[in-house]
Amino acid sequence: MARILPLGGALAAWWLVVWAFELPHFILPGPDRVLITLIERHAQLLFHGSVTAAEILAGLGLGGALGFLTACALATSEPLKRATLPFLVMSQALPVFALAPLLMLWFGYGFASKLAMTTLIVYFPVTAATLSGFRAMPDGWHDTFISLHAKQWSLFWRVRLPLALPHAFSGLRIAASVAPIGAVVGEWVGSSSGLGYLMLHANGRGQTDLMFAALVVLCIEAVVIWTVVSRLTRRLDQRLNVSSLP
Amino acid sequence: MLSITQFDLSYPGYPPLARVTWHLKPGEQVALLGRSGTGKSTLLKAILHAANHPHIEIETDRIAYLAQQPVLLPWLTVAENVSLGNRLRGESVTPADAEQIEQRLTDVGLAGFGPRTIDTLSGGQRARVALARVLFEKADCVLLDEPFSGLDRSTRIDMASLCRELLLEQTVVLVTHDPLDARNWLSHAMVLTETSLTGPFELTQFENDRVLLDALGVGL
Repeated sequence: MARILPLGGALAAWWLVVWAFELPHFILPGPDRVLITLIERHAQLLFHGSVTAAEILAGLGLGGALGFLTACALATSEPLKRATLPFLVMSQALPVFALAPLLMLWFGYGFASKLAMTTLIVYFPVTAATLSGFRAMPDGWHDTFISLHAKQWSLFWRVRLPLALPHAFSGLRIAASVAPIGAVVGEWVGSSSGLGYLMLHANGRGQTDLMFAALVVLCIEAVVIWTVVSRLTRRLDQRLNVSSLP
Repeated sequence: MLSITQFDLSYPGYPPLARVTWHLKPGEQVALLGRSGTGKSTLLKAILHAANHPHIEIETDRIAYLAQQPVLLPWLTVAENVSLGNRLRGESVTPADAEQIEQRLTDVGLAGFGPRTIDTLSGGQRARVALARVLFEKADCVLLDEPFSGLDRSTRIDMASLCRELLLEQTVVLVTHDPLDARNWLSHAMVLTETSLTGPFELTQFENDRVLLDALGVGL
């Protein structure tokens, strides 16, 4: 109920504005008209929606994996970290949008350039969050492990990595919420399918209701992906139980 | 067992502390008392890292270290934490080891706790798991850095008597600032000040030992 109420209120307000100002549907279609478009053009929306979903998921997987591995590599080598980190931070000053035309040039107008965009936008939050997880161990841990004659590799694998995982997960949750941006921007710059393409296409023909319908589908995708990632990682967090440490 | 000769205690960038010469026979069990800032923990860690210090020699590599907070990994069970050394050295845990783990847990009064997770344990039970690990590792020398400081008074007394009962042959150095804590377990203490290491002192009558009290900076 607590979730339905604001949503219902927003829909009612939207409908009220359209009705009160007698807005033509090519400026702002009412929720009823968007719903009808969703039903009538469901096949088209499903097709383009699945393309975008695939781009988001693949980018999340690839960017997440690359970010995680980068953080692991930087954590195991202090000189490497010192040499690389400034460039990583600097690269963040560059908006991904500015790179989009270049990525089109290099990877073409198909799936690969959208994957590259999404991967780029996912990569940094995961890298940064995971790296912050490889912090100093709690007091007394290092000396205890020395006394147990721990091997460096085991120490990394069995202690530092599990300690860093909850941070990697929170990075992945942030990444899951920004990944759709990468996919849609990629589609805007140049594509022949996907929700971003569909929106540009509809915009050019004054089909504002179709634009809204595409937005609704994108919203649902984003929420579902974020929720799944969030639930999965929180469950793993519980298994690791790192938050119970003093 | 342990021999420290002309070892200079110091923190980088600060005036040097005491120059320490100290010999411990195998099986000797001593408390290391001193006010905070005299370098007790630093000395203990230097013993642990003896290989890096030319002035410290120790005749075993089976040294156990008990930190102020028990070092237990929350994603492992109690039993897995007892055999943590095996994991960290890349050795497998054999069925014989598993039996040993259960034995050591029984020794510290935690029979049947093996499959439990760490967050279900009280502070006192966590300290016992850490002690079970020391026993499981069959350490010859046990270094303890205020190991029970996070526990309440009665649990500290319980832990002290458990240590007295279970750590019989090991060489023991117990760092603490509290002579009462030390006496619950041990009979002798060394006192570290900013300028020297003195002792051994008898702990049985420490309330009447002017020299010891002066060294500790306690005016009774």
